[in-house]
Amino acid sequence: MSAYDANLDYVPTWCPGCGNFGIINSLKKAFAVLELDLEQTVLVNGIGCSSKIGQYINCYRIETLHGRTLPVATGVKLANHGLTVIAEGGDGDGMGLGMGHFVHTARRNLDISYFIHNNQVYGLTKGQTSPTSEPGMFTKFTPPPLGNVERPVNIVDMAISLGASFVARAYTGNMNQLTDMMAQAIRHRGFAVVDILQPCVSFNAVNTYAWYQQRVRTIGGDHDPSDRERAKALAGIWGDEIPVGVFWREERPTFADSLPQLKGGPLTAQPLAGADISSLMEELA
Amino acid sequence: MRSDFSCLFAGEAGYGVMSAGSTVAKAAGRNNLWAFVVNEYPSLIKGGLNTCLVRLAAAPLPAHEEMIDCLAVLSQDGMEQNYGRVQPGGLLIADASLAVDSSRLARGVRVYQLPLLQKGSGDVAKIMSNSAMLGAFCALSGFPADLIEAVLASEFKPEVFEKNRLLLRATYELAAQQTAAAVFPLPFSEPPARRMLINGNDAIAMGALQGGCKFAAGYPMTPGSSVLTYLADYGPAFGLVFKQAEDEIAAINMLIGAGFAGARAIGATSGGGFSLMVEALGFAALAEVPLVMVNAQRGGPSTGQPTRTAQADLAFILNASQGEFLRIVVAPGDIEECFFETFRAFNLAEKYQLPVIILTDKYLADSAATHPFFKTEGLAIERGKLADPDWLAAHQPYKRYEFTADGVSARALPGTGGGRHIATSYTHGEDGFYSSGNREYAGSEPEVTVKALDKLFDKEPHILAELEAVRLYGPETAELTLVVWGSTKGAALAGMELATAAGLSVNVLQVVYLSPFPAAAVAAILGRSRQTLLVEGNKTAQLGGLVRMHTGIHLANRYLKYDSRAFTPSQILLKIKEVLA
Ligand SMILES: Cc1ncc(C[n+]2csc(CCOP(=O)(O)OP(=O)(O)O)c2C)c(N)n1
Ligand code: SF4
Repeated sequence: MSAYDANLDYVPTWCPGCGNFGIINSLKKAFAVLELDLEQTVLVNGIGCSSKIGQYINCYRIETLHGRTLPVATGVKLANHGLTVIAEGGDGDGMGLGMGHFVHTARRNLDISYFIHNNQVYGLTKGQTSPTSEPGMFTKFTPPPLGNVERPVNIVDMAISLGASFVARAYTGNMNQLTDMMAQAIRHRGFAVVDILQPCVSFNAVNTYAWYQQRVRTIGGDHDPSDRERAKALAGIWGDEIPVGVFWREERPTFADSLPQLKGGPLTAQPLAGADISSLMEELA
Repeated sequence: MRSDFSCLFAGEAGYGVMSAGSTVAKAAGRNNLWAFVVNEYPSLIKGGLNTCLVRLAAAPLPAHEEMIDCLAVLSQDGMEQNYGRVQPGGLLIADASLAVDSSRLARGVRVYQLPLLQKGSGDVAKIMSNSAMLGAFCALSGFPADLIEAVLASEFKPEVFEKNRLLLRATYELAAQQTAAAVFPLPFSEPPARRMLINGNDAIAMGALQGGCKFAAGYPMTPGSSVLTYLADYGPAFGLVFKQAEDEIAAINMLIGAGFAGARAIGATSGGGFSLMVEALGFAALAEVPLVMVNAQRGGPSTGQPTRTAQADLAFILNASQGEFLRIVVAPGDIEECFFETFRAFNLAEKYQLPVIILTDKYLADSAATHPFFKTEGLAIERGKLADPDWLAAHQPYKRYEFTADGVSARALPGTGGGRHIATSYTHGEDGFYSSGNREYAGSEPEVTVKALDKLFDKEPHILAELEAVRLYGPETAELTLVVWGSTKGAALAGMELATAAGLSVNVLQVVYLSPFPAAAVAAILGRSRQTLLVEGNKTAQLGGLVRMHTGIHLANRYLKYDSRAFTPSQILLKIKEVLA
């Protein structure tokens, strides 16, 4: 297949210049690089500008509720673990309402890739603070003079700590690298998180393309992604320099691997009729 | 000869009164009697009064009664709270340490005090107290001890059984010395067919397994949890995966994911958990993802009464979630309906691609009854319009939400060639594409919105035509029609029988499916009734409101009970007499 197979005719409603264009193009390219069977691929998205990605890409998709991508993706994956399952949403979607689900999904290490479009602001609701907003940032809900007074969530650090088995960060301004991170994440067996730095040209005047351009640094080739301490140390760096690349990778059994019920194939492939419950009734006799 | 016999086993939690009760019930069921068992327990882990009421009869029992023939009690609390329930001429069996105030007992109640509580070390000794209690119960009531032993033998490991048997026998001998053998009023014999002792939640879980359910997710909340416990326990042998979710919101969204992917999935909770799920309920409806959810009601509002019963979530369940959409709400009234309506729920959810809610309550979920083995022949799985690759090849471009006459469009499961689409929580057109703000729909949004909403409701007449949504018991026409839903059915049916025996003309209308509301069927039956009596377990006459809304019929006579306990036949009989007086 080519990236073109994933195209749909619908015209995205993102603002001109929005980082989401880079993300969708990279995702289509990643599909092509991996030669993914799009009929066997499910994209689960939340609600937000970022989450609209599912509307414009041609695989199986389920557009869920705000913050609920990961539980829905979990259900899809457990029902049919033969599918490639990708979850996408914004930093608000995933780190606000969805934070609890993020914590627990990471613990479970289901074979799901999770791409967070991190624009450090709520786009679709027109510019409120997000859990990843910089301290001091002025938004509609944190106006001057105070601005945002909360400490931002560190997605990469948290994902490593919680048990995600692949953790990377990428930047929409570098599409080749983003494509590569996405492809690696999809190929990885386990819960793979990619924190994608995505400028919002309409509501985030701080974290702009220019701002990122000056700061983003690819993690050096000497970094060993199986070195947890080093990965955590790298994750702590944010400011004049922002590391991008693969921070952490670990091979460990996925949640589905531990379920004997799935050994013979996906739940969706099992026959529905003909269950014999007589032993259950005997048990109560 | 008496036609039934009730014993209440009471004691502090940890002494096994509930297993004593179910042992008697099982022994009775295996020997051609029928039991109805009601457990009452506070929301405590250690301590607190547990009671287990076992009512036995020679014919199937639909409900319990408050009054009892025998009280077997291990704690002072158990005595204080239940003096008044022992019938005149009944039996009181109490641990030797308890103070019995005979003046609070009815006429002719025989009192026996014996050493029942086992004071040995640890919980093992404690829990054997119930064997002593059973020994005394058998000796004093005349219930054959060997029938009890046979049940214990099949449930305990040999060493444990032997210890309990010895204690049971010793207490039996001690008690037997105090009285000329009492006669248990009911006949034992070989039953014609196998029977089980089963509660509503077990029946629901079995119905799910029979229905091909492969995935369950949930977060524990009494009294819904035991459906999940059952599936976690027995499900894997049927290829089912159970996932305990981090919260109810996650649980229902997992179910939606599984349903979208094509697995039959079920969740179970109680009102508080359901409250958290409601946004996703609407999502399932709009995305047309099949979903089956059990809400076992308990006292409310808020955390309410975890272990007590109520029928007060009806209005909430019917209206839960924003916007307007069609859902199926079924309220089984007994064990049989719990099993078969759950089986049907999966077919309905897939055929009509919508949420189906099974509405029960603590009384039905937790009360056990003797029941014949379910007859499963002829139960057919119906999946409705599932698009296979051939169909899809002939129907390109595939429209997941194609507008059809019956509102149902072919569902392509992920992984099926040619079926790629978007399922969405946004109002959408036939292609599933979002209607608002997009260039493609800019010119036709109002039209698409109307069609999209109509599509959900176009299913309604087909559902109503398919379902046996109301059931009428007793004569076609009667002086008085009891109108009930859910677990109240049992007490109403027994109340009707008592009334009939007293020469009154009564029938019972049970509304089994509360949504879509079977207005025509209800109106037809109520149109024939001279007088009505609405019987439901809430304060605001929720079914009454529904009947009025859909049929214009005002059910003026009401017996509303919201005291945390279920209706009993005698209570209903009193109301019937009041209305017909
Ligand atoms: C339960 C619920 N609460 C609030 C909203 C409104 N809402 C829609 S998108 C959004 C925030 C989106 O922010 P983010 O996830 O960062 O995505 P972005 O739009 O920035 O890409 C909110 C609050 C909603 N749809 N549902
Ligand atoms: S508001 Fe921001 S995130 Fe949303 S489309 Fe516009 S630029 Fe993109």
